[in-house]
Amino acid sequence: MKELRHRFSSGFFITLALALLIFGSKNTSVVDDISSKTSDIFVPILDIASRPFEAAGDFMEWTRQVAIVFSENKRLISENEVLKLAQIKASQLAIDNQRLKKLLNVGEGQVNTIAAARVVSDSDSPFFKSVLINRGTNDGVEKGYAVINEDGIVGRTINLGSSSSRVLLATDINSRIPVKLAAGGINMILEGDNSPYPILAFLPFDKKLAIGDLILTSGYGMVFPPDLPVGQVVEITAEGIRIKLSAKLYNLNYVSIVGYEIIRSPVVENQENTTKEPN
Amino acid sequence: MMGLESKSEIGFRGILPFVSTLVLILVMQLQYRLFFLDNLFPYLSLAAVYYWCIFKPRLMPVSAVFLLGLLQDIISGGPLGMMALLLLIVRIFVVRQSSRFLEREFLFNWLVFIMVALVFGLATWATASVYIKETQNLWNALGQSIFTIAVFPVVVLLLGWVRNMLVTENR
Repeated sequence: MKELRHRFSSGFFITLALALLIFGSKNTSVVDDISSKTSDIFVPILDIASRPFEAAGDFMEWTRQVAIVFSENKRLISENEVLKLAQIKASQLAIDNQRLKKLLNVGEGQVNTIAAARVVSDSDSPFFKSVLINRGTNDGVEKGYAVINEDGIVGRTINLGSSSSRVLLATDINSRIPVKLAAGGINMILEGDNSPYPILAFLPFDKKLAIGDLILTSGYGMVFPPDLPVGQVVEITAEGIRIKLSAKLYNLNYVSIVGYEIIRSPVVENQENTTKEPN
Repeated sequence: MMGLESKSEIGFRGILPFVSTLVLILVMQLQYRLFFLDNLFPYLSLAAVYYWCIFKPRLMPVSAVFLLGLLQDIISGGPLGMMALLLLIVRIFVVRQSSRFLEREFLFNWLVFIMVALVFGLATWATASVYIKETQNLWNALGQSIFTIAVFPVVVLLLGWVRNMLVTENR
């Protein structure tokens, strides 16, 4: 009897696990709800548990910086001279740019920083690339918001709890991000494939890239604001063009969650309304 | 006998196997800021479930293994049910064979674990590939298995201390 009961419970739970695996992906709202509520419970624990690793990482970084302080200072002084000249040039270009945008009535993108968050957990799986952050709907985070850090793009929010969010990393196989070549403005799509170096797809046939080319976000797709650093081309083969991301996704600490929307001047909207009215 | 549980184990200390496995699952999810660990972090939950199913199977029932696997799926962001299913299969295999493991030395258990970890890695790779509908890198899965095999003695040492807490003072 005991053996029968044991066999029944084993069969029941295996069937349940299989059912979750097969139908879980189809009924995403229920699964997302359960996942986000469970994540909300574990995020505070993971937040505390990850503090020692953050302290150890910070200490190692501090040691490294102390070791290179003199050579770094020398490099920064010479770099500062170059940057001062570039700053003057950039401010002149910014004025020109504003003037031309006004003339053309170009829709201005507005970037709202929703919250700064701490990465508390990493999937650490070769097949699924995501992280958990300690900000959720209570902090104004919504599904599909861009997540960036000081180096470049990180990913986007996919699953939200009240105090936690799951971020799909740019390296995940389900990630697709519209990007462009910094130099020529050629639009492409950055496709994750679960490797540390995502692939650039949809490069026009007549265009060629070179190792070291800088890739930025294009702003299409309305998730990532344009001109954010994405990475650099590191490999060009028959299989595809791979880039090394600017942000180190294996070493994330604090990230920013940003919302992006295009705001057009009210004059244009009024004009559109008046043209529609006769219909 | 190592495999026998006394009645005094039932109670508060009876949840130690579950809690210790849950702690290892949480350890798996922390960020270690090391490039190579990003893809190859060992399956600590597999080592823990294997250990408890040999020495204290009654304290690691099917429902507990299912719940632990489900929690791992949720916290890691993997497909819901994948780890639950694979850990359940490991439990069924180990419990059926556990009488053969109990009387043997650690080295024998480790050798069997090598086989279990490699098959587990292959099963994870196959399930993930079917779920994603694209063949994934097999070497990553096998790398994870090899790391798991390497850290198994450390997990056994840690869980051995936890198991000592289960031994009654009256015994």
